[in-house]
Amino acid sequence: MTSIAAEGLGVRFLFDRQQRAVTPALARLRRSGEQTWGVHELEFTIGPGESVALIGPSGSGKTTVLRLIAGVFSPDVGRLDVDGRVGSLLSTEAGLLGLLTGRENAQLLGVLAGMSRARSEAALDDIKRTTHLEDAFERPVLSYSEGMKARLGFAVADHTDPDILVLDEVHEALDHEFRAIVAERAHQALRAGGIVVAAGHDHALLATFCERALWLADGRIVADGPFEDVRHAYLGQEA
Amino acid sequence: MASPDTLVPVRRAAAGSSWRAFRRSWDVLISLTISDLKVRYGRGGWRLVKWIVDPFALVGVYLVLVTLVLDRPGEAPGLSLACAVIPFQLFTTTIVNAMSAVAARRSIVLNMGFNRTLLPLSGALTETVAFGASLLLLALMMAIYGVAPTPAILWLPVVIAATLLLAIGVSYPAALLGIWMPEIGTFVMSFVRVLFFIAPGLVPLSQISGTAHDLLLINPMTGVFESYRDALLYGDAPGGFELLYPAALGVLLLVAFVPLFRAEQRQFAKILEF
Repeated sequence: MTSIAAEGLGVRFLFDRQQRAVTPALARLRRSGEQTWGVHELEFTIGPGESVALIGPSGSGKTTVLRLIAGVFSPDVGRLDVDGRVGSLLSTEAGLLGLLTGRENAQLLGVLAGMSRARSEAALDDIKRTTHLEDAFERPVLSYSEGMKARLGFAVADHTDPDILVLDEVHEALDHEFRAIVAERAHQALRAGGIVVAAGHDHALLATFCERALWLADGRIVADGPFEDVRHAYLGQEA
Repeated sequence: MASPDTLVPVRRAAAGSSWRAFRRSWDVLISLTISDLKVRYGRGGWRLVKWIVDPFALVGVYLVLVTLVLDRPGEAPGLSLACAVIPFQLFTTTIVNAMSAVAARRSIVLNMGFNRTLLPLSGALTETVAFGASLLLLALMMAIYGVAPTPAILWLPVVIAATLLLAIGVSYPAALLGIWMPEIGTFVMSFVRVLFFIAPGLVPLSQISGTAHDLLLINPMTGVFESYRDALLYGDAPGGFELLYPAALGVLLLVAFVPLFRAEQRQFAKILEF
């Protein structure tokens, strides 16, 4: 059953004395500098069919939570259980390599996201159709706009049949037509018992597919509840 | 709540059987390598030309140095030099590739979770393709100097395997250095280049005597260079030490650094974030 459960979850960033980010192994060798928690003591569960928006100011830990769910970050403390295949779109670059064409990127990202090489290859024409990139699909991604990159990244993530869709504010770079496609895919995933977790500052966009919200501040959860209630509380606090 | 010093790893849905896990890793490795080849070397037949011309140019420069400046041409100097230059290029390009293996894929590492332990291996495979193409130069040099193949050439696959093992072994510490201390990349490459000159790269080991001869044996590249010369130029079976030393060093590096890399790869996205 698709689910996400976090218990005492924390991610710590270590820096040396020159303020360079270091790994714990390197921190032991170098003179220690500061440490800061990206997120700390997070407790939440997300069940099948739930769509959750992460809201909060920049630097509050929204992207860190999404990266934890996507497996980009590993927790330094606590426990995170993720049951289900994750499809992620976490940056405007969407995991794309500029010198590769849209087709080559789509094939690579498909495999990295969990598809076999054969399945990834077979999905390419469909991805090309979905993205409406036309001839640009055969050109290096360097020439793409942010919106084109986001479309390609989302289309690949979507083709991996994710149970859990993780979207950072990059989907805000999408045009209105593709936003509607993202919202429709999110609803499809939810109807099938999947989970959608999205972060961003465009609350109107988040409201189209999120019923619940987590308000994050300084890496901690301030409020967890129905989207509109949490949003009003957050905006009221901001005012 | 768990104590701040307690690490409790993420639990994710089971990946399936070990065979499926192997197939998945294989698919990821091949896809990473194919994309790396395109990013680093472009597309089409020109890549083959570049892979041959690069070592050819290096051999040409060293040939002028050895025959005209040092006046120590020895036996089939072009072939002798190629026997050193070609495997050494694999060694250096693998280190260059490995040192940027993670940073070059920043957008992927920051967007999705996958087995990043495959990145240095993928880089080594990329450079192995280039190395495979440049082996044609050895055949060309044998033809130019009229050196006929002997049964010793059957040792070539073993010699190549030992070279690859050393290159793959070195790729893991190089990749870690690239992420830990990218600022020392230039120093690392200077050190690596020195390894060519403190090995019998320009002149074969048989032309070096005394303490220098013994000291050169410490350098694993000595065994690699001499193995190629044995198999292709002298028609002898490579000495056991020549093959075993670099191969054993490669295995030792893998045993020491793959687990460390695996542990550290959990932190790579954090490093790239800043």
